[in-house]
Amino acid sequence: MNDTPTPVRLEGLNVRYGAVKAVRDLSLSVWAGSVYALLGRNGSGKSSLVRCLLGQQRAASGQIHLLGEDAWRRRTRLMRRVGVVPEEPDAPLAMTARQLAAFCSHLYPTWDDASVAERLSRFAVPRGVPFGRLSKGQKGQLMLTLALGHRPELLVLDDPTIGLDVVARREFYEELVAELADRGATVLITTHDLAAVEGIATHVGILKDGELLVDEGLEPLKARFRTLRFGPERAPAAGELRGLGALAVCKTAWGLEAVVPRFDEAVAARLQAEGDVAVAVEAMSLEEIFSAVVGNGAGGEA
Amino acid sequence: MSAVVHIDPKDAAPIWRQIEDGVRRLVASGALAPGAPVPSVRELARELRINPATVAKGYQRLVDAGVLLVRRGEGTFVADNPPPTTATERREELAAAARRFAALAATLGAARSETVNSIEKAWDEFAAARKGRGQ
Repeated sequence: MNDTPTPVRLEGLNVRYGAVKAVRDLSLSVWAGSVYALLGRNGSGKSSLVRCLLGQQRAASGQIHLLGEDAWRRRTRLMRRVGVVPEEPDAPLAMTARQLAAFCSHLYPTWDDASVAERLSRFAVPRGVPFGRLSKGQKGQLMLTLALGHRPELLVLDDPTIGLDVVARREFYEELVAELADRGATVLITTHDLAAVEGIATHVGILKDGELLVDEGLEPLKARFRTLRFGPERAPAAGELRGLGALAVCKTAWGLEAVVPRFDEAVAARLQAEGDVAVAVEAMSLEEIFSAVVGNGAGGEA
Repeated sequence: MSAVVHIDPKDAAPIWRQIEDGVRRLVASGALAPGAPVPSVRELARELRINPATVAKGYQRLVDAGVLLVRRGEGTFVADNPPPTTATERREELAAAARRFAALAATLGAARSETVNSIEKAWDEFAAARKGRGQ
């Protein structure tokens, strides 16, 4: 572990567009063998971060280390070791899958013809049809195939399943899972498909307005978030809920609902001591945690 | 394999634990017989679309506990003599289910006696049906 550099290491990253700060003083690491899901609403700074990481854009300040090297200065060399599935499938419209694969094979010394051919068959992507005439799902599958073709050390997936139907999305994730099983690659993925990424991610980052509000393992994150539901006649005062560190407190048709970001035995004991006020304590899916964190008007610490 | 393991993202237990518990339950109920093959890590991960490392962690714990065994080059199987569910495990699982039931009963406004009665009735019905099937 010690001799391989951390695949992604950002320190104090700032990205500005004129007066607008898209990313503020952001630090995060993606460890070897992990699957880091970077989540955020549109305009939260995800794409700026990814572009800086891939050397497509210069940061205002901060350090960006990709596979242990400077992401900007070494960008050309580094891209041979990274597989990228961009947000918008991007390839010359007239080129067929066969031509694209042949083209890419010359760019990468580590190109694996056999696995590319096998993957295209599994996806049933026609090899002789121009890129521009493939379906959206086929384009996504082809992009993933090309991104994996050179056996990259790091895979960067920028909202790879956006606009894909349920079946194409499932196939995409099945293929990603198979790749993880076979090679154990390191992955950085941005997505809005939280249900799908929940089973695959080992780490989660949640961006809001250019700030990283959450940056931790998926398991500890899920272990500390709980929804508390109170009946109408037993709802505690807002101050009491703040004392528990409640993030999102909202009145529902049934009473009061609060999300507690640091639920533990002490919180449970306190609720117990105050009489059976908590009607229900429920674990949360990643999607619910995400909504509570970014939907929280005040922003701040999660 | 007709027996399946389910994953629930809203479950408080981590996914590897859900796999571990799910397989244990299938073995305990006889749905997975001693010596029966179980899906490979790769197959199960792909089917459930979850990280293979998570499946591997659940399987490893089952191997360590003697529920599953790995035969090199052949695959993973239920052990010939899987350890029976321990008294502690049974107690914990029963207690957890009882807490859920008690919470439901309290929410419905049922009295203690009514709640206990309903469990006894359900038990009697289940026992009678089981007897009827000759088990």
